Amino acid sequence: MDLSQLWPALEALPVAAYMRESALGFPAVESIHVVALVLVVGSIAVVDLRLLNLTSPNVLISEIVRDTLKWTWIAFAVAVVSGFLMFAAKATEYVVNTPFRLKLICLALAGLNMLVFELITARRMADWDSGPTPMAVRVAGGLSLVFWIAVVAFGRWIGFAEPAY
Amino acid sequence: MRQFADWLAGTSASQFIQENLWVVPTIQTVHILAVAMVMGSVLMLELRILGVAARSQTLGQTARRYTPWIWAALSVLLATGGVMIVGEPVRELMNVVFWSKMGLVVLAALATLAFQRVVLRAATDADPSPGARRGLSFAALLTLLVWFAIIILGRWIAYAQTEY
Repeated sequence: MDLSQLWPALEALPVAAYMRESALGFPAVESIHVVALVLVVGSIAVVDLRLLNLTSPNVLISEIVRDTLKWTWIAFAVAVVSGFLMFAAKATEYVVNTPFRLKLICLALAGLNMLVFELITARRMADWDSGPTPMAVRVAGGLSLVFWIAVVAFGRWIGFAEPAY
Repeated sequence: MRQFADWLAGTSASQFIQENLWVVPTIQTVHILAVAMVMGSVLMLELRILGVAARSQTLGQTARRYTPWIWAALSVLLATGGVMIVGEPVRELMNVVFWSKMGLVVLAALATLAFQRVVLRAATDADPSPGARRGLSFAALLTLLVWFAIIILGRWIAYAQTEY
């Protein structure tokens, strides 16, 4: 599958041109991206700290997971759309930007970690909803925090990295 | 202010930050993570006030759970913000967007303080009356919006290099 044609094609989209040419467009979308991402990371941290058993030990894990993650997903959707708009504007530059690539890898790892938790670990949640937390659950919480902190760090470094020639 | 900013730019601390390019992005990352800490806490508080989250906990318990995190995060924000000011004094201190953001930060801090006193001073841990709930909900939502504005202004500092 030859992806190299995809990036210039994205840059040619009318919305990508708007992002490049409008003085207000890029900063506005970027601001929305930041608001969305701090809501993602902030809400995920609430869940992860509970999975690590570091906070609210008297509150059921299932309650925190159920109450919080739906907001994480809403914020994540906004972050993805705003992120895609920024990406499309200069797709050919971003695909060779090292921090950007590392950010996407960490996003994928965070997603994979969540998937493993949802599909495997959480199936027996009734067993450990209260009381001692299994290692697999705490590892999931810890890895999630590490991956999301890395996403923020690499995201910030995108603007500071030299483009690869 | 210009003289103070220029003086600050000449200090060895400022020189160090200017010469070591890893400092600003690292500090900014910590700054963003602290903002996330605030937003997560304010979001959970608003959800509890609205009664859509943490229903097994009272509002008082939820407030006691999250407000310390808001204050801790604010300390980190002030510390990292301070480093960024020392690193680029003219860019921050001579910028009307920066000062607008600072005004809103004071507003957010006062709102959090007021919320804390209202909720934590309640004689019982019972849920607030419908009228009180509406008032608290409005206040929490307003605080959230103020933080959105703070974040947006924070990003705009880079785009508005207006010296005056």
